[in-house]
Amino acid sequence: MFKRKYLATFLTSLLAVMLVISGCSGQSSTETNQKKATDDKQDQPIAKKEGNSITIAIKDNLISMDPQDTNDTLSGSIQSTMLEGLVGFDKDMKMIPVLAESYEASEDAKVFIFKLREGVKFHDGTPFNAEAVKVNIDRVSNPDNKLKRYSMFELVEKTEAVDEYTVKVTLKEPFGAMLNNFAHPAARIVSPEAIKKYGKDIAMHPVGTGPFKFLEWDQSDHLTVEKNPEYWQEGLPKVDGIKFKPVPENGARVAMLQTGEADFIYPIPTEQAESINGKDGIVVENRPSIVARYMAINTTKKPFDNVKVRQAINYAINKEAFLKVVYRGYGSEMDSIIPEGLQFYSKQTPYPYDPEKAKELLKEAGYEKGFETTVWGGNNSDAIKAMEFIQQQLGLVGIKVNVIPMESGTLSDKIWSVQNEEDAEVELYYGGWSSSTGDADWGIRPLLAGGSIPPKSYNVAYYQNEKADQLINAALQTADPEKRKAAYAEVQEMIWEDAPWAFLVVEDTMAGMKNYLHGVYLLPDGSMSAREAEIK
Amino acid sequence: MFRYIVRRLLGIVPTLLIVSIFIFLFVHMIPGDPARLVAGPDASYQDVELVRQELGLDKPLVSQYFTYISNLAQADLGTSMKTKRPVFDEIAARFMPTFWLTVWSMAWAIVFGLLIGVISATKRNKWQDYTGMFSAVSGISLPSFWLGLMLIQLFSVQLGWFPTGGNESWTGYILPSITLGAGVAAVIARFTRSSLMDILREDYIRTGRAKGLKENVVVWKHALKNAMIPVVTMTGLQFGFLLGGSIVVETVFSWPGLGRLLIDSVSFRDYPVIQAEMLLFALEFILINLIVDILYGVMNPQIRYE
Amino acid sequence: MENGTVIVQSEDQVIQHEAENVRTPLLEFWRKFKKQRMAMIASSFILLLFVVALIGPFIAPYSAVEPDYNNILSPPSMEHLAGTDAFGRDIFSRIIEGTRISLFVGLSSVFVGAVVGTVLGLISGFYGGRLDSIIMRFCDVLFAFPGILLAIGIIAILGPGLGNVIIAVAIFGIPTFARIVRSSTLAIKATVYVESARSIGAPAKRIIWKHIFPGTISSIIVYFTMRIGTSILTAASLSFLGLGAQPPSPEWGAMLSSGRDFLNTAPHVTFFPGLAIFITVLAFNLLGDGLRDALDPKMKD
Repeated sequence: MFKRKYLATFLTSLLAVMLVISGCSGQSSTETNQKKATDDKQDQPIAKKEGNSITIAIKDNLISMDPQDTNDTLSGSIQSTMLEGLVGFDKDMKMIPVLAESYEASEDAKVFIFKLREGVKFHDGTPFNAEAVKVNIDRVSNPDNKLKRYSMFELVEKTEAVDEYTVKVTLKEPFGAMLNNFAHPAARIVSPEAIKKYGKDIAMHPVGTGPFKFLEWDQSDHLTVEKNPEYWQEGLPKVDGIKFKPVPENGARVAMLQTGEADFIYPIPTEQAESINGKDGIVVENRPSIVARYMAINTTKKPFDNVKVRQAINYAINKEAFLKVVYRGYGSEMDSIIPEGLQFYSKQTPYPYDPEKAKELLKEAGYEKGFETTVWGGNNSDAIKAMEFIQQQLGLVGIKVNVIPMESGTLSDKIWSVQNEEDAEVELYYGGWSSSTGDADWGIRPLLAGGSIPPKSYNVAYYQNEKADQLINAALQTADPEKRKAAYAEVQEMIWEDAPWAFLVVEDTMAGMKNYLHGVYLLPDGSMSAREAEIK
Repeated sequence: MFRYIVRRLLGIVPTLLIVSIFIFLFVHMIPGDPARLVAGPDASYQDVELVRQELGLDKPLVSQYFTYISNLAQADLGTSMKTKRPVFDEIAARFMPTFWLTVWSMAWAIVFGLLIGVISATKRNKWQDYTGMFSAVSGISLPSFWLGLMLIQLFSVQLGWFPTGGNESWTGYILPSITLGAGVAAVIARFTRSSLMDILREDYIRTGRAKGLKENVVVWKHALKNAMIPVVTMTGLQFGFLLGGSIVVETVFSWPGLGRLLIDSVSFRDYPVIQAEMLLFALEFILINLIVDILYGVMNPQIRYE
Repeated sequence: MENGTVIVQSEDQVIQHEAENVRTPLLEFWRKFKKQRMAMIASSFILLLFVVALIGPFIAPYSAVEPDYNNILSPPSMEHLAGTDAFGRDIFSRIIEGTRISLFVGLSSVFVGAVVGTVLGLISGFYGGRLDSIIMRFCDVLFAFPGILLAIGIIAILGPGLGNVIIAVAIFGIPTFARIVRSSTLAIKATVYVESARSIGAPAKRIIWKHIFPGTISSIIVYFTMRIGTSILTAASLSFLGLGAQPPSPEWGAMLSSGRDFLNTAPHVTFFPGLAIFITVLAFNLLGDGLRDALDPKMKD
């Protein structure tokens, strides 16, 4: 008898819990793309902040503080508070002079001359001059040093210090996108004295010219920088120090921002952006990125060797719904083979969502009854969601898609350990790409040039188009922006028509911050700048 | 017994040697190319090949194994492929945070687990028993990420009592050890209840009762000691599992421990780190289970190992 | 002194036990089992679960795979009792249809692990010596093996099928079962009635199955029933590695994890699958306790 009473109590309390939970859950949103989370930034009172140091919560552990041996955007972002390059990027990834006052490139894109800023000192007191630049470029362009960013500078034939403040870099062959490589984080200048002193350990003792000095790094946990009072640029730095703390769990990062343990967090899950924005003094900022999301289609495999099938796939996917489901609307539809934020982007006519047309194209290609295929991709929640969405959409036009999420090592092995084109098993691959140099070349060549098929590079579509290859190469033979622009315009149009990918979306960068914090922002490539951090 | 222990201790070295071969082969067999993963997501072919040379992965497997084993013989665990720091340093830095978290989690889990277990067994099928069952099932079937994030939401965000994560102050230990210990407490409680009930029905306990021994003496002195064997077994195993670091709990609470190191090193196929961690885990389990086996003999002198 | 008493009592017990077995083992079991109210409730619930697993797709109010992009992550309502997920699918229907996979994977993997582990544990504990050392050191290595690595290896060797996920999850369970059973075996072997059976010259097989195995059952049941929930969750984490059930098939564990990033904005996504797992584990634990009591020959009340 009394057991029944317990059962009743149990069920009642369950019901109560359910009601509480359903009562406090957020309302669903039906907004479409291009939304802004930042609209109501000013409405809430400024949150309180004690002290003049800030904490930034990041997703992953940091790997290295040696800019020339770094390949993760995150480590590069942290380095940017301490180290600076000759040129760099502004908030919108337009190139700006930093340690160089001016620069010029020869017509044939072979010789680059930099006029350096005078009176700049490294954190260890070493003066910044042409010799320091030469030491750095010599270091990275020497294959014996086995640095991860060697290939960005392998074309360098020699670097000369023309005088105390002039550097001349000569390439072995023309490379029109070289200035962008100099603006890349890998070209940041480290104190030559420190390189001598620490050798390989420079990765743990970064010494640069930036607004912040390296303080300490607990490699299993956080990294701290402190202000550099002798910084060359007026008015910077504006905070006393910054602590970068890896917080891998999305929900925990959000919680840290809510409690004030962190002043800035990124990335934040798009599902939570709306609900935390405008509360507890939190502002969510989303801006267009240059991270392209696409699904590569193996153009050498049947039935994908037929361009109609590939176009049908593009017509069959509702990009607007994709954005809504996968990124909660934070992003924009892809309308060229590269995102809008890259140099030399030219807009194409989008493939509208038209399942009827898709079916028609499939019929013309002889696949009226559809077919079965498999998509591979990473196993983070966004990638799985994206692949599941594609599965649903293609299912509507008769293409049965099996979704196989894979762990990163297995995935890269499945795709890049394949030596011959014929052995490639990949049919569809969901991927993303961010051109960290901000130039069209690095957004197109590694992904779609004929010489880039695996294992060489990242052309998972095994797309081969001689005409496109010629144009891609021609664009590198000159530093003349007009000529490059014309070549890339043609490439984009041609490949867009050929549809070696299902062109999906360009995601937004998402960051959350307290409303007293200014000057910390994400760049379109997903890196972060905290150089100008300020508490107001 | 003494000879048995010495023999077991001496056996550790050859065991670990065999294990090291097994681990080495397994780690190299699973798909994934460290050179490509370490070189990064947008590395060129040349970069990948440079990394491969630098990591020594271009050499034949046999010669890689001999480098590994001869380094190991000199107590050198090698260098992390991903961070280029000594593996020993990488592991040492993370061992203590994981160790202390394990100790705190185990401590409260054992106390609560035993208490709930004994009460449940002595109040069989009464409300105390069902409450105990209910909490134990909660402890085992609530996923750690859920429990952890809920605790953060309640105690860090709403109440502001504890930090959301990190091991910088002692208050940082509370939420993760509750999360981590919940499952352990559940296992201990259920096993204590079950084996205590078994023993309480044994005839010699009945005989003890019949002889007029007090119920408390029966339960706590005679029954519990004999009931402890499965409980000690499970407790030892749980201790070993926690010492390996919980990937989920360390992720949720930004804990700089072995679990996160493992997941990082697996996703980069950082062979030296994976191998070293697995060797460490194997050693931990061998030692823990040795202690457990010794405890069997202490609790029940009739158990002999020949 | 105490030992002496035990011998006498135990031998009586053995004889009595066998006599009962001969009489009406099944009836006797049922007579004891049906007295346990909670266990009866639990077993009816489990029966219901099996029915749902069989006919799930026919009784679910909505399709488990049909998306509705205009109804994403809506909270529970009269229309959608458990709300909708990130694709606008009805979570309640997905739980119903997911019963089959989750229950099947959860139960069969624990079962395989329990059988293999029990055999290893009995052998290890009973024979001791070198055999014991080998089996136990093998278990130590299995314990030390990170689950994620084992899963990656299994995908590489066996491939990604649903059967292989059962193997993977079973492997995680084997060493624990082995050690539990071994520990009970050691204790029972040491008690005198086995010693005496041995001295009479009973064959090893008979001693193991007649005298030792029954004594290990209660520990096996406890771990078995606790392990079901863990198995369902583990199976889901393996599906993220490409092993086992893949989208869009509904699976409780995977549904639960899918809400991890937005626990505080859409708690229903994790809550309801979690509740399904919880109630299932609770039912099996109650059933397990009932079984144990009913199987126990010494239980008279």
